[in-house]
Amino acid sequence: MESLSGASREAFYLLLSGDPELWTVVGISFSVSLRAILIAAPLAIVVAFVLAHARFPGRRPMLSAFNALQAVPAVVVGLTVYLLLSRSGPFGNLRLLFTQNAMILGQVLLCFPLLVALSHAALQALDRRAWETARTLGAPPWRAMLTTMHEVRFGLLAALIAGFGRIIAEVGSSLMVGGNILGATRNIPTAIALETSKGEYAQGIALGAVLLALALALNMALGMVQGRGEMA
Amino acid sequence: MSNLLAIDTPVVLEGVRKQFAGRTVLDVSRFVIAPSCCTFLAGDNGAGKTTLLRIAAGLDAPDQAAVTIDGCCRDWAAAQKQLQGNVIYFHQVPYLFDSTVADNIAYGLRFAMRSRAAIRQRVDAALDWAGLGHLAERNARQLSGGERQRVALVRAWVLAPRVLLLDEPLSAIDAHARAQTVDLIRRLKHDGAGLVITGHQAEALMPVVDERLHLQHGELSQADTTHAAGSRHQRGAPPLVLVN
Repeated sequence: MESLSGASREAFYLLLSGDPELWTVVGISFSVSLRAILIAAPLAIVVAFVLAHARFPGRRPMLSAFNALQAVPAVVVGLTVYLLLSRSGPFGNLRLLFTQNAMILGQVLLCFPLLVALSHAALQALDRRAWETARTLGAPPWRAMLTTMHEVRFGLLAALIAGFGRIIAEVGSSLMVGGNILGATRNIPTAIALETSKGEYAQGIALGAVLLALALALNMALGMVQGRGEMA
Repeated sequence: MSNLLAIDTPVVLEGVRKQFAGRTVLDVSRFVIAPSCCTFLAGDNGAGKTTLLRIAAGLDAPDQAAVTIDGCCRDWAAAQKQLQGNVIYFHQVPYLFDSTVADNIAYGLRFAMRSRAAIRQRVDAALDWAGLGHLAERNARQLSGGERQRVALVRAWVLAPRVLLLDEPLSAIDAHARAQTVDLIRRLKHDGAGLVITGHQAEALMPVVDERLHLQHGELSQADTTHAAGSRHQRGAPPLVLVN
């Protein structure tokens, strides 16, 4: 086994030399997870808004369900999507298994409950007067909804970042429904798992460094935006 | 401006009833909000003042009520829509959006006017009118209590509201801000708005109040009338609408 320092040196060489295989994996990871969050977020935020502002039978069980679904392991989501998309499954004829679309579907299902729960927490904490003020000043309901979302934009941004963090780093679902095909469905977490199992630590460390840098950058960006909001 | 409304007829609410947890908190036989008239609504805490104002603003639904607006017959859904379009409710502590003072004042205008230039012009004029021009680009959250109160009043004034309901507007501000607020209320009344003000500072509002009502245990009674024409809440066209 190569030494840790040697593997790290090689990892940074891979990163800095623009190794095409490595950066293809990074590109797939970002492309899939960004599309997943863009698909999931609008509906999740609207659902969170309805749960925070409307009163209807079944609201509390729904909230409990979304809270509970946050804890579902990625492999269980992967298994579910796999069964749905496999040849003998109900959506087998769509031939989506082992494609990026299957990975996106799995990641949408993974981040949706988290987005709903965190967005709901942000919207629930907002002063009810915000909605009432918007309405009494003549805003139609959908504009009043957008206004309340703007009022809690930092909380919603934090929810989006948390959701993105969950799916960019998940391995179970992507591995099962994506198939880890190089150049097509191999993303950062599945590549790390594969390279580590082969004893090729350098690429794993390099990809891990990309994930760490991403986490750091996202959180710093959030901190800066929040700081600007507090200063305003 | 495009949302100016005919303001020569009163808004009439009759038989307004509201219960919370089986307890009747409001049982008002007749409540008239007349244009260019300022009504002071007194009452102990829990008497139902806020509940009545929130129903009149269309924010809360009554268990039962008859509503007449422009003499038209409407069910509650339609009446509520009309109330929300004509009546502005002013919270005890006004909520200002997390944006500049100018943006806050422009907020309601965006739903009534299309031209950005016209909105900006209207906002500038309103800021000058209220002496708040120097605060235009400040974040509204950074203002003092009195300044917030004035911004919220100006935000309502630019919409030329038919009715403005103010829930204890003088309760949390100092004497100087109170005098400015009363002055703004006077101007709103002069511009034709029907005003209902709740609170405990009747003296400060005496220069602008035309009629005083008293709400006790959810029931409305005449406290005093300074308006030459007599009690407005006993007059007006019979209501046409039944609700709920």
